[in-house]
Amino acid sequence: MDDLLNEFLTETSENMDILDVELVKLEQNPNDPALLGNIFRLVHTIKGTCGFLGLPRLESVAHAGENILGKIRDGEIEVTPVAVSLVLECLDQIKLLLQELEATEEEPEGEDSDLIARLNAFADGNVIEQPEEQSDMAENTTAPAVETDFEPVEEEPDEFGFVPVRAEDTGKNIDPAAIAVEVASNVDEDDIPDSDEEASAVPAVVAKSEEVAREPSDSQKTGSVANQTIRVNVDLLENLMTMISELVLTRNQLMQILRNEKESEFSAPLQRLSHVTTELQEGVMKTRMQPIGNAWSKLPRIVRDLSIELDKKIDLQMIGAETELDRQVLELIKDPLTHMVRNSADHGIEVPKDRLANGKPETGTITLKAYHEGGHICIEIRDDGKGLNTARIREKVLDAGLVSESDMESLSTQQIQQFVFNAGLSTAAAVTSVSGRGVGMDVVKTNIEKIGGTVELQSTEGVGTTFSIKIPLTLAIVSALIIESAGERFAIPQISVVELVMASANSEHKIEKIQGTPVLRLRNRLLPLVSLQNSLKIDSAEEADEVADSDETFVVVGQVGTYSFGIIVDRVYDTEEIVVKPVAPVLRQISVFSGNTILGDGSVILILDPNGIAAHTGDLSLVDATNQDTAASGEDGDDSRVAMLIFRAGDKTPKAVPLALVARLEEIDRSKVEWSGDRALVQYRKQLMPLIPVVEGSVMEREGMQSVIVFSDRERSMGLIVDEIVDIVEDRLNVELNTVNEGFLGSAIIHGEATDIIDTGHFLTLAFDDWFGNANNEGFETGKGRKRSVLLVDDSAFFRNLITPMLSVEGFEVTSVDSVESAMHLCEKGRRFDIIVSDIEMPGINGFEFAQQVRAGSAWSEVPMVAVSAHTAPKDLDRGREVGFNDYVAKFDRTALINTLHHTLSLH
Amino acid sequence: MKSCLVVDDSRVIRMVARKILEELNFDVDEAEDGQVALERCKVKLPDGVLLDWNMPVMNGIEFLVALQGIPGGADVPVVFCTTENDIDHIREAIGSGASEYIMKPFDSEIIQSKFVQVGLL
Repeated sequence: MDDLLNEFLTETSENMDILDVELVKLEQNPNDPALLGNIFRLVHTIKGTCGFLGLPRLESVAHAGENILGKIRDGEIEVTPVAVSLVLECLDQIKLLLQELEATEEEPEGEDSDLIARLNAFADGNVIEQPEEQSDMAENTTAPAVETDFEPVEEEPDEFGFVPVRAEDTGKNIDPAAIAVEVASNVDEDDIPDSDEEASAVPAVVAKSEEVAREPSDSQKTGSVANQTIRVNVDLLENLMTMISELVLTRNQLMQILRNEKESEFSAPLQRLSHVTTELQEGVMKTRMQPIGNAWSKLPRIVRDLSIELDKKIDLQMIGAETELDRQVLELIKDPLTHMVRNSADHGIEVPKDRLANGKPETGTITLKAYHEGGHICIEIRDDGKGLNTARIREKVLDAGLVSESDMESLSTQQIQQFVFNAGLSTAAAVTSVSGRGVGMDVVKTNIEKIGGTVELQSTEGVGTTFSIKIPLTLAIVSALIIESAGERFAIPQISVVELVMASANSEHKIEKIQGTPVLRLRNRLLPLVSLQNSLKIDSAEEADEVADSDETFVVVGQVGTYSFGIIVDRVYDTEEIVVKPVAPVLRQISVFSGNTILGDGSVILILDPNGIAAHTGDLSLVDATNQDTAASGEDGDDSRVAMLIFRAGDKTPKAVPLALVARLEEIDRSKVEWSGDRALVQYRKQLMPLIPVVEGSVMEREGMQSVIVFSDRERSMGLIVDEIVDIVEDRLNVELNTVNEGFLGSAIIHGEATDIIDTGHFLTLAFDDWFGNANNEGFETGKGRKRSVLLVDDSAFFRNLITPMLSVEGFEVTSVDSVESAMHLCEKGRRFDIIVSDIEMPGINGFEFAQQVRAGSAWSEVPMVAVSAHTAPKDLDRGREVGFNDYVAKFDRTALINTLHHTLSLH
Repeated sequence: MKSCLVVDDSRVIRMVARKILEELNFDVDEAEDGQVALERCKVKLPDGVLLDWNMPVMNGIEFLVALQGIPGGADVPVVFCTTENDIDHIREAIGSGASEYIMKPFDSEIIQSKFVQVGLL
């Protein structure tokens, strides 16, 4: 293409972008002469340059537009929405002609006498056709935007192959035609005018460039102003980036060689080379950075057109338009963003009448916000509209057969809302020309995830919807941790690595690795673990054994969203800057890999995708963060299962204790056990911890290692001496009560074997006489010194026996009953309690019904109630609150139960 | 070789002007508005100026007035461009110190003849 034509197309489409923004601003500030002057000048320039290239058709359209603008500037015509729409229509025609011109390199045939006649008629004050014109116009102006729902709507400067680039960092850019791409980041914070900056961040960028130019600073080198920016072809930049990537790899390779040499004369120059490479890399990355405002510049116009078409009042706020990100990423998110804003305007914001009826301001607000966070950029799209209609989504989901009706029951509101990201769901009652055609949010989500981003949705019916997008700043080079598993090396993106833990038999962190469900207890949290070797199915039999037996294992603690998990690896190397190369198409289906790279030593390794690996940690739902802490107990839809720790002590009968009660598992060196009479004590975390045998009177050996189950309560710990830790299992608990043996609650069939369930309370009392005494319960009593009374309703004797001593420790007076009927009987007898704790799943009358009975005018109607249940799905919590429970606690989470009791009581 | 400063906010027009002027054997420098042009002139006065009228930041007339304030600035021949067939603008420009005016779109021929008139060729 002819250079001149190329330049013309670039310059003119830049000007068109500015014009779109400025005109929308003008509509809001019709009396701003500076705005008017700028708009007039831009159209004038377009017309002027057309003359040079011999483009009479374009020139005549631009001339007609200039004509109206001239009259407006001179005060002959008022700025009305009709006038602005007409000018916008004129600009759209220019864009259309430009598109053709770009495609064919020739001005298209035809003429625009109709449009020009209307423009001229308007300019001459002939406004008779106004109403008709307006509707006509609204259709026309939005036409290009509507038809290409997910294509780039108009021409971009970039599509001509150019992008403005900073020549020097100090620049005070002056050419507003260069749409101040670089200005935003260059201008000192102080220079930025605060006034309605937020309201119109993109246009403000342009204003800024002018402002700065008017006050050239003293330090500025005279005469150098115009050379602050140069324009280079995007291909050139891309090429540079690729070369830098290769350079980084070669550098890494050299550094690797150097590391193996003890002393080398190359050491100093190589260090220098490394340094320069890093700076070079950063520099080139910077040239690719563009403010996100570039992707937003079309939005004011789109929202404006939509608000006219849909008869709504919408204010678009843009915050953080100067936030920079890689242009490649920018290109990729531009369409999703546009789509989401369009959705907000169309589906989110209500018509003024409805807004007023709901007590909201007539004008709806859509807020776009961008900011940096770590190596990510966060973008929020928030509207104060009607929010998602969960009931409708539910209907649609059922209609589409995505979820069965019974499964739907267990989904929380938030989970149901996530279905808007599914293909084929549109909740718009009427399909408008704008959106609601079932293409959309699924594409948005796919596109964002494609670049390693995430999109989350929060919506409250009647209040509004917020989409939060998080995307990496750049895609090309990332920092990654290099690890080894079964002799193969892999890279894990540093961004998803939270910490590294070395687990060994003797250290504080130990993998409780029992029969395929390994977990790591880390700072009182159970992390599900996944063995890289197993999940990648790497065969190396002899090594596998070696690893299992080795004392040290490395766990890479990763995080995906709110979900934490551990990856068991054999070795951890260094972190390295790696160049991400896309994964070969043949491997693309495998979710655990996100790409590959070449390491310093020249070897090609695969990059792991933490998202994919997280999926391997089992059937843990990634969505439900509430279950994190009980991760080990899993979430397979059967919530009444309890995780039990199985061990052996004394006889051959397996014994079990609820895992939730266990603080940790230890191996203690028997030679370190101290004896005080018959009592064994061991120094544990700077305290003496009593060791209690499960079978009374059994003698502990004096040498070797001893397995101990540690129970902790506040500062105190007690160790239960066992022969062997067998397993952690999840099973439905059905305890047959038998009180013959002291220290046992009874037995249950676990995994087909009769297992004794131990009574933790018994051993705790053995360890500390006052464990259940009055120690540490100050402040939990009422002012008169009366103990708070608790009514515990649970059909499971096991649970009652577990909870009763625990609550006694806390200074509660506990009365327990096994059914709602018995409880109501107490009520009729006139018993009063300070608080009621009730199970939900009970034969006969269940907990929900119990609460309804109590709340329905019984003598206890004012008594606070806390539900305890294995079912802690959000839906259950909602239901619990509905029927009158003050709070809802997961079974076996004793800390939560106690905290909840104190909290609830303090409120009453 | 004589130097000429082309002042216009449009890159396209600067490109055209540069092409024409370089063919006429000028050493061409560019500025995208009056402010930038003025900074250039303060450093080194060109032999001639081809000046647009409607520009952001500092328009052609403002530049002309300021140029007169620079020592020697008043002696620099300035050819003033306009697309508007507006006698007032032309009069204002000539009054502010422009030597000649020229209508856009210009071509090599018209530039050549105007530059001859102001003694640049």
